[in-house]
Order: sequence, then C-alpha cells, then structure tokens
Amino acid sequence: MSRQTKMFGEKAFDLLKELERSSQTIPAFDDDGVRQVLEEIKAIFEENVAQASSYNASGDRSLWPLLNFRHAALQRNKRCLLAYLYERCRRIKALRWEFGPIIPGDIKQALCEPEVTFFNNYSKSLAAYMCSAGYNQGLPIDLTNNLRPPKSLYIEVRCMEDYGKFELDDGEVIHLKKNSQHYLPRAQVESLVRQGILHHIA
Amino acid sequence: MFVQDLRNDFYRQLVGKRILIVVNYDIDAICASRILQALFKYDHMLYTVVPIMGVTGLKRAYEEHQGDVKYVVLVNCGGCVDIVELLQPADEVTFFICDSHRPLDVCNIYSDRQVCILGDASLEENIPAFETIFYDSEGEDEDEDESSDPEQQHDDSGAGESDQEDQAPRSRKLSRLERHEQRILKQRARRQWESERDRIMFEYTQFSYYGRSAALMVFELAWKLSKDNMDLLWWAIVGITEQLLLGKIESGAYTLELEEIQSHVSRLTNKTNDQNTMSASKITFENDLHLVLYRHWPVTESMRYSRYSSCQLKLWTLRGEKRLHELLLEMGLPLVHARQTYGAMDLVLRKEFFSMVERLAEKYDIADIVYGTFTLSYGYRSRYAAADYVYALLAIMESVKKHKTPEDCFLEASDALSRQHKQLLSAGIDQAKLLHAAVFRQVQSSLEARQVHSAGSFFYYVLQEEHAFFSYPYALGLLARFLLRGHVATSRARQAPDLPLIASCPLNASEGMCLLVGIVPVREDSPRNFFGKAFEQAAQKSGVALLQDFFEPAVVQLRQSDLTRFLDSLTVLLA
Repeated sequence: MSRQTKMFGEKAFDLLKELERSSQTIPAFDDDGVRQVLEEIKAIFEENVAQASSYNASGDRSLWPLLNFRHAALQRNKRCLLAYLYERCRRIKALRWEFGPIIPGDIKQALCEPEVTFFNNYSKSLAAYMCSAGYNQGLPIDLTNNLRPPKSLYIEVRCMEDYGKFELDDGEVIHLKKNSQHYLPRAQVESLVRQGILHHIA
Repeated sequence: MFVQDLRNDFYRQLVGKRILIVVNYDIDAICASRILQALFKYDHMLYTVVPIMGVTGLKRAYEEHQGDVKYVVLVNCGGCVDIVELLQPADEVTFFICDSHRPLDVCNIYSDRQVCILGDASLEENIPAFETIFYDSEGEDEDEDESSDPEQQHDDSGAGESDQEDQAPRSRKLSRLERHEQRILKQRARRQWESERDRIMFEYTQFSYYGRSAALMVFELAWKLSKDNMDLLWWAIVGITEQLLLGKIESGAYTLELEEIQSHVSRLTNKTNDQNTMSASKITFENDLHLVLYRHWPVTESMRYSRYSSCQLKLWTLRGEKRLHELLLEMGLPLVHARQTYGAMDLVLRKEFFSMVERLAEKYDIADIVYGTFTLSYGYRSRYAAADYVYALLAIMESVKKHKTPEDCFLEASDALSRQHKQLLSAGIDQAKLLHAAVFRQVQSSLEARQVHSAGSFFYYVLQEEHAFFSYPYALGLLARFLLRGHVATSRARQAPDLPLIASCPLNASEGMCLLVGIVPVREDSPRNFFGKAFEQAAQKSGVALLQDFFEPAVVQLRQSDLTRFLDSLTVLLA
C-alpha cells in the first residue's frame, strides 16, 4: 500500500526542469504550470492564515514549526517561479541580439503577452541607447552587428562552401567558390560570416 | 612584355583595383602569394586567391572567377603557355605573370599590353629575336594584290590608247614572268625561314628549367615599397630553399642569391628594437647540414633518410650501417644519444655536432653535406631551419585524402607558414618524417630487388600499385632522385651517372592513369630537363594519349596500359 504523497514545490521544480532541458531555445510558456504553482502558493497561504488565526484564538504554540515549514514552502515556490520568469526574460534579451528587432514567428508563439511586451520595450531601450551612442555621426551604431569590436575595415575570409555570385556595394561581383580566399570590406560580408559560409581568418 | 620596375609598372597599376590571384600548387608559389597578400592588405586592395594544379585547372578557375576582374596575377603558372590563346580573355583584362618556370612562351614575351611578365629581360637566356619567329606577312599579301590588280584593270579598261595598249601587254607579260619568278623565290625563302624558325623554337623550348624564385621577386617588390618585414623575408627564404632542395636550381645560383638575402637579413635584424630579448624572432645565417629535419629526429634516422648522406655511405646495406657507426664513433657521439631525438641529446653533444660532422666530412666522402642556409628562431623553443619548413609544407601539400581535397591541403600549407599556426607546422614535420621513412624503405627494397631497369639510354622504374605517398608528383620526384643516386652508387656500370631516370606510379586503379616523372642524370649539375619535349615527341610517335597538364613539363600522366608502348618509343627516340 503506497500512498502518493505530493510534496510542496514539485510543480515549480518541474517548471524549472523543463526550462533546463531546452537550454538554448525558449519553450512554450507553461501557462498551466505557472497557474498550478500559483494555486499551490495560495493554498499553502490559506492554510497558514487559518492556522495563524486559530493560534490567535487558542494560543497553542505547538504547531509553530508547521507554520514555519509552510512558510518555507511558500518562499521556495516563489523563488522557483521568479527564477523561471527571469530565465525566460534573459533568453528573450539574447534573442534581440541574435535575431534583430523582429521575433521569428515560431518563437513568438512560445511567448506570452507580457513577454512580447517586454521584448518590444527592450528593443526600444536598445535602439535609444544605440542612437545616443552614435550621436556624433548622427547615425545609430548597430551594436548587434559585431559581438566583438571590429579591428579593420577589410577582412580576409575563406569560403567554406560554394555560394555562387555575391555582389558588393560598388558593383563588383565576387564568385564564392569553396576554398577560395578573399579580402573584402567587412561591413558587406559580415552576414555571410555570421551564417558560416565565409570563415574569417584572424 | 617584361616589366622590370615592379613598383611603378606593376604595383601602382594595381592600387585600388580588384585583383584575381591564381596560384600554382607548389611551395614557392604559396610563399609568393602570402607575400603578395600581405602587400595588398596594406593598401586595402580587394583580392581573391584561387589555387590551381595544372593547365585545365587554370582554365577552369579563370572561367569561373572572371566576373568583373580586370587584373589577374598568375603566380608560378602560365609563363610557359600562351595565355591569351588559352583563356581567351576580354581586351581590357591585363595579366601579370610571376613565374619561375622557363622557357617562357614567346607569345607572352612579345605581347603588347595584355600580358606583362615580371622580371628582368636581360637576365633571360636565349630569347629568340622577334623577327626570327614572327613573320611579317603583309608584304607578301600586297604583292599578290598588285599582281592581280593590273590584270583586272586591263580587263576593265577596254578603251585606251593603242600605244599604251601595245606597250602595256609586253611590259605586263615580262613583269608577269618576273613576278612569277619572284613569287617562287619568295616562297622558297619563306620555307627556309620557317624551317629556321622551327629550329630556333626547338632549341629554345628543348630544355625546361627554372629561373629566379617568384617569392624572392615579390619580396624585392615589398622591399622597394618599404613594406618588408621578417615574416615576408622568411617566406622568401623558404621559397628559394625549396628551389634548391627539390633540385630546381643548381647550388651555384642558390649561393649567388644568398648574398643578397643576407644583406636583407642584416638590415631587418638591425631595424627591430627588441633584438636583445631572447624570445624575439630572429633569422640567422649559418652553415648547416643537408640532413633532413635533423633537429626533429634521432641523428641516425636523419642520416639514413637524407638522400646525400645515405647514398654516399650506402646506408641501406649492412656495411653502410657499420660505416655510420664508425662515423658516430669518431665524432664522439654515443649510440644511445644518437638514437634519441636531437633535442634529447646532451647539450655539449648538440653544440659540437655540426663542427664534428664538418671535420669528418672529407674522410667519409660526404663533403657536400654542408651548405649555407637560414634558421628562424622565435620564442624560447621554436627553432626551424628553412629546409624544415620546406619539407613540412611538402608533406602537407601531398597529404591528400578522401575527405581532404588538394585545395584543403593548399590552404593548410598556406596557414602553416604563419607563426600562429605552429601546430600545423609540427603536424607537417611529422608527416614529412613518415614520407622520408617511406621513401627510404622503398629505395631499399627496390635496390635489393633490382627493380631499376636499364633501357639503354635511360633507367626506368615502375611501381606496380598505387601508394599513399608516391602517387603525387613531388613525393614521386623525391623517391626518383633518391633511387637514381642510390642506383648510381651501387651499380658498377660506367655510364650510370650519365643516364636519366623515369619513374612511374599508378594514380588510381579505377581510372587506370599513372604518373610519370623524368629526372636528370646524376652527373649533370644543372637541372635542365629535356623530358618535357621528349615526352611530347614520344607520345606523338607512338600515338599515346599523354596528359601534360602540370606546369612542370617533366611530370605527365598517361594510361597504365600505354606505359610499355610509350617507354619503347621513348627508347627509340633517345637512342
């Protein structure tokens, strides 16, 4: 005869495990799970309130550890929830740096409304900062372009796979064939380097 | 046409333009292209580097990368073929050729503006004069026109003065006869001129040899632009050392270049400020030994696997081994130390190694083992001779595998030249050790089994199945040279040192193609190779389909089944 005892904080732990499993992408916002945790918190709180008020009436101190225990469980649930939400927000911020100001559709489905609002606000703040940082030239500096500060105007790249023809800004057409080495202006080939078609030779 | 002032006529033309650099598959070319790339980076000139292996590769690369490119630099390729005819370029495209292969194609030399050859025209030998090879055929056409015109005029002008008519036919007849004779004389003269031209061209293209190293030429350009530094100088040194080690130039020419390079070395060493620190990068000139990679190997092994010492001491026989032990004994080098890696020997022994070998060189008949070369040292541990670099790059270039295409190997070799990728160089040195050990084993087994056959006027050696190492031109060349020297050392025939060697190895069993390499005889000091022309003529006579694709004319490909027929016709030709 086995009794299935339900521990406090299990559901919150499940939420975090789910998040840990998909460490790079953002899983769908577990609306249900969050609501369950919130309900659990509420239930524990109600129990505690009931017990505290009964204490006020009876003055019985023997159940104080139980009060403390429930309070600890409450706090643990709260911490797990906050960690869950914060981790998601962190990944959303990273999204902005990787993908740009528009969220791809399939990721957008995984976010809940407030998270989308958060993303937009973050985008706005970043854009304002970039504008202010470049106010000397009058143009915003696109900080998301290079993760490391660029050292030169031109870079030497090696072609990793056959890409075909690539046109530069001044009209020159470069034929990108596997294993050919080129020396090209940085700004225009950055996207190809990011995609992995060209390999930057340090 | 020749371009001597590299700075103004070559470099200044290219500033600000987009350039296509086509590089041949050899070490000198890799070094030259690295120096060129460094120069172009200074001025932010966009360039594209494409490695190729033979004439078909050149054509394919040009067709693919044509685009908008107006300036093409060919490094160590294309000097000996008619570029304009081969590639059919547009009129605005200009080619700059920096090639160490000789003889240069006459169409390239006498081209007006499209093809510019970097180099000094006065240093080239035996270039036929323009009049002797290109016939000015306009004069003859005019004559023909004249001879037909008056006849037409006569027909047209029916009415004319009778006097003139009477006189005109007579003078016309005379002059027609005369003209006929003149035409015959001219035709005979023309035929004579043509046979003379064929003779001159044959003499010009008979021997293929190598001129000045391309890397050295580009380094001089860097020097004139004041953009040279130690790295570029080191690459130039590797380029010219490759020419010496692979037998492309003779040691006399190499020694001449050494003086100039030494002046560059002293100038650049005094320029850098930190020459007092131990770990600064330094290039030093010293007399070194012709022992392959001896700083990275046990002494016994490097003695055994180096062609010169091995053949003089005959180290593949038992007696040779004993002589080697005698030599080590006299040098005072304990066998225990000699069998360990050079770096693990006692410091005292290492310091004295060179002087001891030099002292005993005369006695053991290995006098030529000492030669002047350069060593690069940087950091506390790295110390490489130029020869080490050459062999390492060679091994990397020929390490083509299933998933590693020749272009990958080319790029890896190019990377290994820079000092950041030291592990690539070490991997190359390891690979080179395997290559040399394999060469020695092959030579030993072949000489013992007497697999080098004589065909009267040359030796030939046929490998039966494809080999991981020897299916590539340079490795096969190394093997062939070692084999020829070894055979000459062991054979008692009087004319052995005068006979050349042809070695062949199958390329891949599925297609049935095999690679053929011709090596000059041992006694010949100059590496002038007549095999290019000889192969061509033998192929013509015997009707064998020969693929002379590589820019080295002494390396060809043909079908395995045609091999015997080809060798027979070659025997007849050279007899």
